[in-house]
Order: sequence, then C-alpha cells, then structure tokens
Amino acid sequence: MLLCDHYITARSLGEAFDAMDAHRGGYRIVAGATDTLPWAREGRAGDVHVPALIDVSAIPELNERRIGPDRVLIGAATPIQRFLDDDALMRAMPAAPHCAIWFADDQIRALATVGGNVVNASPAADVTPCLIAHDAVVELASRRDGRIVRRTEKLASFIRGPGKTGLADGEILLSVTCDALPGYGGTFEKVGHRRSLVISVVCLTVLMKLDPGGRVIEDVRLAIAGVRPIPCRIDAVETALRGARLSMEAIENAAAMPLDLVQSRSRQDYRRDVTRGFLTRGLISAAKRAGADPQVFQHREAAYA
Amino acid sequence: MPDLHLQATVNGRKVSRTVQPHQRLLDVLRDDLNLTGNKEGCGAGECGTCSVFVNGVLMKSCLMPAAKAQGATVETIEALAKTGELSVLQKAFHKAGASQCGYCIPGMVMAATAALRANPFADREEIKERLGGNICRCTGYQKIFDAVEMARDVQNGALSLTAFDEIDDGEGKYIGRNVRRIDAPAKVSGALRYAGDMVMPGMLHVQVLRSPHPHARIVSIDTSAAEAMEGVEGVITCADVPGEDGFGVFVHDQPIMARGKVRYVGEAIAAVAAEDLVTARKALGAIKVVYEMLPAVFDAEEALKPGAPVIHDYAPDNITKHIPIRVGDIEKGFAEADLVIDELYTTQAIEHAYLEPEAGLAYVDHDGVVTIHSPDQNITHHRHMLAKIIAKPITKVRFIMSPVGGGFGGKEDMIYQGMLALLAMKTRRPVRLVFTREESIATTAKRHPSKTTLRMGMTRDGRITAVAFKMVSDGGAYGLSTEGVMRKAAILGAGPYNIPNLQMDTIGVYTNNTPSGAFRSFGALQTQFATESHLDLFAERLGLDPFEIRRINMMRDGANTHTKQALKSVSLSRVLDAAEQGCGWERGVPNQRGAARSDLGRAGVRPPVTLGARFGTPAKQEAAE
Repeated sequence: MLLCDHYITARSLGEAFDAMDAHRGGYRIVAGATDTLPWAREGRAGDVHVPALIDVSAIPELNERRIGPDRVLIGAATPIQRFLDDDALMRAMPAAPHCAIWFADDQIRALATVGGNVVNASPAADVTPCLIAHDAVVELASRRDGRIVRRTEKLASFIRGPGKTGLADGEILLSVTCDALPGYGGTFEKVGHRRSLVISVVCLTVLMKLDPGGRVIEDVRLAIAGVRPIPCRIDAVETALRGARLSMEAIENAAAMPLDLVQSRSRQDYRRDVTRGFLTRGLISAAKRAGADPQVFQHREAAYA
Repeated sequence: MPDLHLQATVNGRKVSRTVQPHQRLLDVLRDDLNLTGNKEGCGAGECGTCSVFVNGVLMKSCLMPAAKAQGATVETIEALAKTGELSVLQKAFHKAGASQCGYCIPGMVMAATAALRANPFADREEIKERLGGNICRCTGYQKIFDAVEMARDVQNGALSLTAFDEIDDGEGKYIGRNVRRIDAPAKVSGALRYAGDMVMPGMLHVQVLRSPHPHARIVSIDTSAAEAMEGVEGVITCADVPGEDGFGVFVHDQPIMARGKVRYVGEAIAAVAAEDLVTARKALGAIKVVYEMLPAVFDAEEALKPGAPVIHDYAPDNITKHIPIRVGDIEKGFAEADLVIDELYTTQAIEHAYLEPEAGLAYVDHDGVVTIHSPDQNITHHRHMLAKIIAKPITKVRFIMSPVGGGFGGKEDMIYQGMLALLAMKTRRPVRLVFTREESIATTAKRHPSKTTLRMGMTRDGRITAVAFKMVSDGGAYGLSTEGVMRKAAILGAGPYNIPNLQMDTIGVYTNNTPSGAFRSFGALQTQFATESHLDLFAERLGLDPFEIRRINMMRDGANTHTKQALKSVSLSRVLDAAEQGCGWERGVPNQRGAARSDLGRAGVRPPVTLGARFGTPAKQEAAE
C-alpha cells in the first residue's frame, strides 16, 4: 500500500520545484503513476510511506508536442496512447504505433507516459528502444538560485542500467526529442507471455527507408530491449545493410550475423533464437511498409509471415 | 495529514468528498461512494475489474491516485444501467452467456463499451485487442467476444432489436438447451454484492500477520503494543481459540492461526481488527513474534527420506495419504509385453487465480449466532468444524455463501473464516477481511505439484499388458484436500483404459511449501498427463496412430474399472471420434506431420498472435465513417 501525507499536483515547472524544495529528501515524482502504485505492494517494496507525491503530469511544458520536418519534440508527460491517436506523430515516428499497441493495454496507455517509461529505465522497456532508434535526446531541468537550468543528453547514454539513469537529484525530465522519420517503414516485434499486459522477453524496433524504386536500403535503424541491462541499437546490422540492395538474402545474412547482444540473466539461447527471427521478420515487415518492390519477397515471405 | 478535497461528477451527479491523499480513485468509488459494481481483483493494473471511464476514457481506477480525478467526469458500471434498463451490451452479455462467476464482468462490460465507442464496427480481432487489459478466468473469452459482436450488430442494425427478447422455447426442458443464467442481470449491471463489497454499520477492517519463515517454532507472540494502538479494537492469536482447534477437508491438522510453530511462508499467526485498513496494517507491524528456526523441507521426495524434518508430529514419515491399488500380476504382464517404456513426469504448483480474492464479513447477530458471509465452497462442513473450534452449539454458527467470484476448488478450505468468527466474537462488531491478490496467491491452496514414475508394457499390436504407476505429490504444510486428491488420482490416473495388470500408488506428502488442495480435476490432471503422454510415446515407438492406440485399449460399455466400478455406458469412443475430427488429425504416428497439414488454416484454428487489428483496412475505416 502506498501511503503519502501530501499529493501535490503541480500546475507549472515553478510549482513543481517549489514542492520539491519544500519536501527535499521526502518526495517522489509521479506522472501516470501506473508503475508507482504496483511498486508499493507485497513482494516488491511492500507498504511504502512517501511524505509527498509530486504529480507533474499537468504541467503544460511536459505536455507539449512539436512535430517539425527534422525533429519531433514529445513532452515527458505525453501518454503512450498518443502514438496511436495523433496522426502527425504517427507519421513522423512510423514504428511507434506498432510499439504502442504492444505496450500494456489501452487503459494503462491512457495514463502511462513517455517520460515515465524513460526514467524507469527498465531493461525490458518497450518505448525506450523505439526512441533510441530515433536518436532521441532528453531535456532535463533543475532550479538553481531561483533560475531554471536546462540541459540535454542523448537518451542512449542517459540510461545507465536497470532502474538507473543520469537524472540528477532535483532534476525533472521535460521532453524527448527524436528524429522525424516520415516515409520510413516501421515495425515492432515483441514476445511475452500473453498478448496484453506483458513485459517484453525480447522486443525489437525496426525502421527502414528505401530508394524511390523500393530496391535499395537508404537507411535502417534497429533497437532491441529485453536481452541486456540497457536497450541498445544494433550497429553492426545497420552498417551491413545501409546502402545495400534489398533482398531476402541480404536480410537473412544480416539476421544471421554473429551478435554479442544477449546478456540477460536467463534464457539466453531462447533470446538469441528470437532475436534472429525478429530481425528477419522485422526487416521484411519494415521493408514492405517502406514500399519495397513486391518482387523482392515474392517467393519467400510466407515462411516468415 | 492534510486531506484532499475532491470534487468530481460521478455517474452524472456532482460529488464532493474529503479523502486522504493516498487514496486511489477505486478506493473513493468503492469505499466513500459505495459504488461497488467495479471490483478490485489485483490492485496492480493487471486484471481490469476496476475499469471506469474518466472524462470518457477508460482507465484502471486501481492505478489512479484519486487526486487525478479532481474535476473529472467519472462513469462506473452503475452508470450504464442507470434507469434499470440494461444497456445493449449488458443484454448481449446476458444473452450470450458471457457471465459466469461474474467478478470480471463489470470491468469487461466497461471495456467492451469503450471498444464499441472507439470503433462501432470493430471486428472480432479488434475486439480482442481492445479488451486485452481485462482478464476473465471462467469463460475462455469466447462467450464474451460473442456478446460484444452481438451487441455491435444490434447497434449497427445488422441484428434485430428483438434478438435479445427471443426466448428459446424450451417447453420446460433444460437438458441440452441453452438456458440463460438467472443471476446474469445482477452480474452485468454490477448490482451483485460479493463479500468484499458488503459493508455493515460499525464494521471493522481485518488484517492478518503472516509467517515470513517456512518452518519455525514460535517462542513468543507479544500483541500488547498493537492492542494499545488507537483504533485497534481486537487482536487475536491461537490463544483466543476456545474449542478444539483444527480444520481440514479430511484431517483436521491446521489450526486457525499457527499454534506452537509455523509450517509455511504466509501462514496466519495473528489477526487485527481496526477502525480502518491503514490502522490495521500499522498494528501488524507492532506485533512482536520471536521465532526459533527449524530445518525445513521443500521437496516431497526429500520429505520421505529417513531423518527428514517432521512437519506434523502425528505423521512422523511425513505421509499425508498413500493410496495403493493392485490388480492382476504386473510381473506376468511385463513379461508378456513386446515393449516396456519407463518415464518420469513432473507437474508444478498452479494457482487458481479466480478474479475475486478471498473475502469475508462476520458478525454476531442479535441471537448470539456467529454469522459469516464468504465465498465458501463448502459451508456445511465448515459450519460443523467451526462450531467445535469456537465451542458453540451448531445452532449458534451460521455460514452464508456469498457469490463466489471464481473458485475452481480454491475456496473449499476454511482458511480465514475462523479468524473472522473469533474477531467478531471478541469485538462484538462486524468485521471484514479482504485479501490482496498477493496474499491470495501466497497463502491459499495450490494444485498439487507431482512427480510420476510410470512403467508401461505393451504388445506390438498396441495392447497394454501392465502398468506400474507411482505419483509422489507435494501436499505442502497442511492436509486440506490432499487425501481426496490422492484417491481421485489413483482412481482416474491410469485413464479410461483396460489394464489387466496394474500397480498404482499415489502418495501425498507433507513439506514446508504452500499447502496444496482442491483444484479442478482433483488429481486426474497430473496423473492422466503422464498416462496420455506415455500412450503417445508408445504410438511413436510402435508406429501406431495415437487415436488407434487409445481405441485398442479403451473401456467400452459394461467395463469394470480397476477399482471395480461397473460402467454401464462409456462415451470414450465418441469423444475420440470428435477429437480426431475436431483437430483435423491426419492418420499416422504422432511424431510425423500429416502430408496435407489439413490442421492448419481451418476455421477455428488460431494463427499466431499479432496485434494491430485497429490499424485496419480502408474498408474498415470507410465503414466507421
């Protein structure tokens, strides 16, 4: 059971920092709170008393969304469900809807936030690898001598380990800025114990851009989670495929590359097998969504459908 | 603690309440507004029994701090049938037989309502996806999806409005007909009150102190600090039991609360009744228990070895029950066999996972009758046991079975009702205990884990000549239903087959694990898993068809079982025919795929799980417009 003496809903960054100053050493920041409440239960943290819960989800700056031609800014308090109902966001981040559909369920997505998924730093986070594939940068704010100070950091390095980030004491995550990748084909592969409400055993984000003929891979981005302490890009496969002619053979060779990705505590062989399968299926699916020449997969796709 | 002043519109009415800052929206709805239609099945956002609309968006109210609903418009299940007339979806759930225990149904109806609001033309795959956050344990979901599709079609005019009113004309006949459940309207509307929904004036809240150790002697229990706390009205331990302490389905080996020693992690040691839940939980922390650790045993076979820790003094060999059955001469039978196969089969503990965690409300009525409402699957037996435990005549003990939000055998044990009775007697006030999901999983009976060594002999043409079957089952710390499960396992485990020579042993063993108990099929699952797997191994090795091998050995009308039960009629032949046809089986050995693979791509065969049905086709989007 989660007990608190104060529940403070901050209406501005200033109010949030006021509350953090007033309860220094005894507060916890919440946004969607969908992970905080299950955390304070038997078997995890048990009964927890937090003097002050500071809710940042109503701060306007954390709810901003700016979709430009090159970059997309997503406020940290943006609910995951926006990846499924904001058309402009879906166009700029073509893998994100496929990622979101596998994230918890509709009801939790309506509350759970992008920033929450990032700062929880779960090795099995679903959204974080998708953001990493977009070369995401996080913006953080703190208040020093009455002045709000901002800094940025690459998301890939901001996640330091399971549950660990570069968030300093007194800092708030404001936003995540991503590459806008309209015209890319995007997909998300995930396996867990059932279809909804599951933690990823393995999840993979794939983004691919093809030439106008649908024959040459101009860009490809791959990010994986669930297999190691920190979600990461799969640089070796990206390098091998970038600029290559799209073919089943190229995809199968890429998926078969020896990769030292799996560093999980359990089921390593299984995860290696799944990763290979996901790479193959994910690359095919992303290529098709990117407008691949249909002849490329004419005879082979059934095996991976 | 500064209280929170919450203002919201709930089910169309303005509501203003002073609540505590830690309360969740679910707590405010259920406890402060008495809107108990939506339930708490897990408290962790997993099950969806608490799903409500907040500003028109479906949310899990157990994951939502109440403060987030400030100024919001909230709709609970009670809003859907506000005038007394069920909504189209609720009628469809009733008509389709979608509600069984009913506990998930209010949340499920809310999720279905949200799904059809989001897309009035959603197909079955999209419906599945949109209902993904809601768990049902009874139905297997098919009836629920049927209901949502039916409601969709009525709403869209594809089905007539009168579809729900067409009562099947059964002319008083019931067997073989679809009969609508008479309790379904109460379940689909959220009106039905389960034990955890019940309140009484002056009611106290109960919490239970549980053992963190698997096997330990209790040196002392000091409850004085807890009893001195403001708001604590009663604390009980085994010292408060006035009569003969002990319950169980077969052997009464379990005390209401641990007596002398604890035998498993989660065993009740003391219980507190307080004015509110938070005080009761804080009081648990003030009870001091001194333990002296004892060596523990967690494996049934280890527990059978000489020198293993003894769990109960009355059973120094740790055997709860051994059922031996002998038929014919197995040595002779194995000698006649062309092939003998030995194999080991293991199964694990399984939780029932009913959506309704255990709950109960007890009071002493005006005539001094100790009265207990709980979802109890065996009230008559429990009434007799409790009368002895609390040393009262049977006329002063009353059990009322509240609606059971799923049982599957898991609610056959009197695991908490005794504590409620004692606290009601001690405080002279109504007392209520509602388990958390974690408490339910950690402390109540599981399906028996088992290890089966099976040796079977067969002739080349597929006739069983002999079976030697031994199952060692982990019964956990207390007897509960173990004896019955061992009996049923011995009776049913060798399957519906003619076995001329049989040696069958099923042995239930005490360990320091969570007690095992009743669970659907009651011992048949563990044993038949071994027998049926073994028949498939024989089919592989002898080059026979797995259906054929069963037909060769199956009992027929007039058969005598190995426990000498005469069977007038045996339906196995028809069952095999139906199974063979239903799965699209292509004749042959079981480890080779049929050439035609006619099992794939047929109606009713599920493809691998994919998500994204809502991304949809242009046709679907057009239909939606």
